[in-house]
Amino acid sequence: MKQGKFWSPYVAGAGIGLVLVTMFYVAGRGLGASGAFSVASCMTLNAVASGFANSLKYFSQYLDTPSPLMSWNVFMIVGVLIGALTGALSTGNFKMMFDKGASMTTRTRLIMAFSGGVLIGWASRLARGCTSGVGLTGGAQLALSGWVFVMAMFISGFIFAAIFRRYWS
Amino acid sequence: MMGPFEMSTALTLGFALLFGFFFGLFLERGGLGDPHKLTGVFYLKDFTVPKVMFTAIVVASTGLYLLSDLHLLDLEKVWIIPTFFWPQLVGGALFGIGFIVSGYCPGTAVAGLGEGRLDALVTMIGISAGSLLFAILYPSLEGFYLSSDMGAPTLPKLLGVNHWLVVIPVIAIALGLFVFLERFEKRRRSA
Repeated sequence: MKQGKFWSPYVAGAGIGLVLVTMFYVAGRGLGASGAFSVASCMTLNAVASGFANSLKYFSQYLDTPSPLMSWNVFMIVGVLIGALTGALSTGNFKMMFDKGASMTTRTRLIMAFSGGVLIGWASRLARGCTSGVGLTGGAQLALSGWVFVMAMFISGFIFAAIFRRYWS
Repeated sequence: MMGPFEMSTALTLGFALLFGFFFGLFLERGGLGDPHKLTGVFYLKDFTVPKVMFTAIVVASTGLYLLSDLHLLDLEKVWIIPTFFWPQLVGGALFGIGFIVSGYCPGTAVAGLGEGRLDALVTMIGISAGSLLFAILYPSLEGFYLSSDMGAPTLPKLLGVNHWLVVIPVIAIALGLFVFLERFEKRRRSA
C-alpha cells in the first residue's frame, strides 16, 4: 500500500460528512449518485427510441418533467466528476489506465466491470438509491432505510467476496 | 437563519454542482476511486471504505441533529429517505454483489473515472444499462418495489427515544470500530 498518497480516510470522511450537513441545511436533501445514471439511460433511450422510452412506466418520472437533465442528481454527478478530476490532477494521481485485479485478464475485467455495474444499477433502482443516496444520506439521518441498506450491502459483500477472492485478492 | 431554504431552480442546480464537486474531491482524496481499496474491506486488506463511510455518517448525523436542536434547521423540511423494507434489504444485498464484482459503486466509479480509470467508465455504462433493465422489467417488479412501505421512519422515532440516545451509541460504535481496525492493521503490518 502506498501510504501518504491519499488523505487520511478520517479526514476525507469528515469532509464528506460536512458536505452532507451543509446540504441538509441549505437544500434540505442529501447526496445521490445512482439517480443520474437512471436519468442518463432514460434520456439516451429517448434519443434513439422515443416511443419505447415513453412506453416505460418507470421512466415517466423523468419524461413527464419539462427538462429531466436539469436535475439535482445530474448536476451533482457532474460535480463529482469535476471534483475527483481536480483532486487527481492537482496531486499527480491522474493516470489513464484500465485497472484490474492482479490475476484478471482484460477480458475478465471487462465482463466483471460491466456485469457488476448492471447489478449495481438494477439494485439501486430497487433500493431507491445507492451507497450515497440511501447509505450515507439515510445513514446520517438515522433513517431505517439507510441502515437496512448498509447492513445488507456489507453482509452480502462479505459472503460473496469468497467467490470472487481469486480475482481481487 | 433557519434552513433549509427556498431556492430558484438555477440556484439549486448550482448548489448540486458545488456539493458534488466537494463530494467527488473528498472521495478521490480519500482513495475511494481505487477498486483495490474499495474491495479491500471484503478481504480484510484495506479498511478505507468503512473508515470514510462511518466517519461521514457520524459527522453528518451529529451536525444534522445539532442544527435541529439549535433551531437552525427545520427537520420537518428535510427529505428523510423513505423506507421500503424488503426492496431495500434485497436491493442492498444485490448491490453488495455488484460492488464486489465491479469494484465500484456509482459515486466511486465516477471518482475512479476522474482518476483516469477506463474500467470505471465500463462500470458506469453497466450501471446505466442496469437502470434501463429495471425500467423495462418494472411492470413485473412494481408489486415488490412498492411493498413494505413504512413511510420515512428514523431509528429514534421507531425506538421512541431522543435522537441523541441513538447518535451517541452510533458514535461510540464507530470509534470502537476505528480503534479495532487501527490495531488490526498495525498488528498485521508488524507480523
